Amino acid sequence: MERLLLGVEAFDFLDKEGIPILKTVLAKDENEAVMIASQIGFPVALKVSSPDIVHKTETGGIKVFLKDEDDVRTAFTDIVHTFTSNHPGKRLEGVIVQKLGKGLELIVGTMTDQQFGPVIMFGLGGIFVEALKDVSFRLIPLEARDAKEIMEDLQGYKILKNPRGEKVDLAAVENFILQGSHLVEKHPEIREMDLNPIFASPKRRRSLRCPDQNRVEFVGKCSTMRGRLLG
Amino acid sequence: MMTKKLMKLFSPDSVVVIGASNSFDKLGCHVMKSLVGHYAGKIYPINPKGGKVWNLDSYHSIGEVPGEIDLAIIVVPAALVPETLHQCGEKGVKGAVLITAGFREIEDSQGAVLQEKIRKICDQYELPVIGPNTSGFANIAFGIDASFTSEFCQLEKGGVAIISQSGGLCHLCGFLAIHQRMGVSSLMSLGNRLNVGFPEAVQFFIEEDEATKVIALYIEGLDEPRKLLDMARLLRGKNPIVAYKSGKSVKSDSASKFHTGSLAGNHEIWRGAFRQAGILEVTSAEELIDTAKVLDSCALARGNHIAVLSGQAGPGIIAADALEAYGLSLSPFSSATKEKINEYLPPIVIRTNPVDMGPVWYNPKAMFDILNAVLEDEGIDGAIFINLYASANLSLASAMAEHIQNIDAFKKPVISVITSPPGVWDEGIKGLDRKKGIAILPTPERAAKAMSNLWKANLLSAREN
Repeated sequence: MERLLLGVEAFDFLDKEGIPILKTVLAKDENEAVMIASQIGFPVALKVSSPDIVHKTETGGIKVFLKDEDDVRTAFTDIVHTFTSNHPGKRLEGVIVQKLGKGLELIVGTMTDQQFGPVIMFGLGGIFVEALKDVSFRLIPLEARDAKEIMEDLQGYKILKNPRGEKVDLAAVENFILQGSHLVEKHPEIREMDLNPIFASPKRRRSLRCPDQNRVEFVGKCSTMRGRLLG
Repeated sequence: MMTKKLMKLFSPDSVVVIGASNSFDKLGCHVMKSLVGHYAGKIYPINPKGGKVWNLDSYHSIGEVPGEIDLAIIVVPAALVPETLHQCGEKGVKGAVLITAGFREIEDSQGAVLQEKIRKICDQYELPVIGPNTSGFANIAFGIDASFTSEFCQLEKGGVAIISQSGGLCHLCGFLAIHQRMGVSSLMSLGNRLNVGFPEAVQFFIEEDEATKVIALYIEGLDEPRKLLDMARLLRGKNPIVAYKSGKSVKSDSASKFHTGSLAGNHEIWRGAFRQAGILEVTSAEELIDTAKVLDSCALARGNHIAVLSGQAGPGIIAADALEAYGLSLSPFSSATKEKINEYLPPIVIRTNPVDMGPVWYNPKAMFDILNAVLEDEGIDGAIFINLYASANLSLASAMAEHIQNIDAFKKPVISVITSPPGVWDEGIKGLDRKKGIAILPTPERAAKAMSNLWKANLLSAREN
């Protein structure tokens, strides 16, 4: 049966499939949220986790830039209060505590087109997508060349290449797009997937401690996956 | 098997016209007009009334025709098509052009039923069909116009195969090609694509048709676009494929559902899919013909550094503007090139890129020497070469044609804008256009756009990136 995969369930699935996800833990109550936040490190973001809600921003389910314990407590109470008063009867799994994303916002989506079958979409996040509709598409499966060219197709490619002088790790973005393509190839039951936002960090000097650290991480402001997911 | 039959279909030794007629208001009359006096093979008109058709003896049915038949052009009413195809199959006809309309394209669902019926008949005889609902084809390289428009015979022979879904666009592109002196190998409309669709036609003209160097497509919509895209990807790097796709405003249900419902238009997927398949997308019929013409006549631009040489400063300046807008750049020349240019031009004009060749405007040899010097420059990947008519320079174009020499040896594209009122420079322009790696287009802006497409086509043609 077709269904929507949301919240922690979606994060868990993507994590298992090797999609680089920012440290994300589900908290059942306020104290747990504070404990997790201290472990992850401030600032953090809190997001409502419900299998019944797709767009969290519109429903007051997201609080970002929480810099200390007090912020987290207030945010937790607000989110739960807003949720229970606005959505009576909807299920609440808890609140996700997440490391705050940093870098250039990108989006990757996949969908199943009537004519073309599975396709992947790429764009810069925020107003570039919402207002300028600056996105480009490729048919799945992608080759390395396609992942490079899907970026070049954007009007805003210059921003991607050089956001305020800090170079985004384009190779890592390319790799992330290819991962999206591979995921849908491997799981053809995924009808639709929306990875938004993705944060691409500036290229840094290689650190001895984590030489393979990926420079692109998915945060999932409103991660939705539609399909029959197994396991 | 199918490939051999397609060869006979597009290059037939004998043709029957089923529904041939002498009446001007019948398409069967116009098909005969296209063949008689132009086509060198055998023509057999079929008409149940008998008698002479276009001064040729007609036959009551295809079964009466003596000898083998390669191509059947069918212009009978839709209801008679199934029986006609059976007769073609039994006669061993190699291929058919089914001009008759009234199949899947009509609102009445019986049209689709009838199309399915004839598809089965054609499967039974392994009979390849162009159409139904086609205006036919013309193989200019071979010498047959199997359409209902005899004026396609005016097309010059060349390397571009125009493959259009629509008959109307096939005509528009054909007429533009005549006006623009584009060289055509074949042109056709595929209509409802019974069993010869875009993938089959593209494969045939790239792999089997020696005359074809460039494929120009006009696409409206395909049920299974991946088949064409996979074929193009497979053939990437062989012949350039240029496509004009209409229907940008149509959004499929599934696409518009995506995300907030505002992002995905189907055409956005087409754009990405074209690039992924190595197909160069253009956005007008005019650009399709301009681009196909330069791809057929000029070398690809290996880089984006372009020189502009103009007999008049103004057109050179707008060419420069347009080139930069399309992502190309006007690079400075090497010091050796500058020296050569300075031998011809005094320091009263712009001698850097764009070059104002005004002072040597009466000296075609000097202009070609400058062009040669610029093409020799390793930092230059192509040139736009402009000369406009003035009454004082009546003989310039024909004099230029004498100095054209070995421009093609540089393997760099030269797109020339040589424009005059009708009649005055026609002969000279004919002597220059599509010769030695030079192609002529009407305006500096169109030349710049075509140059940018030669550069894009070069990037797309690479199998690896």
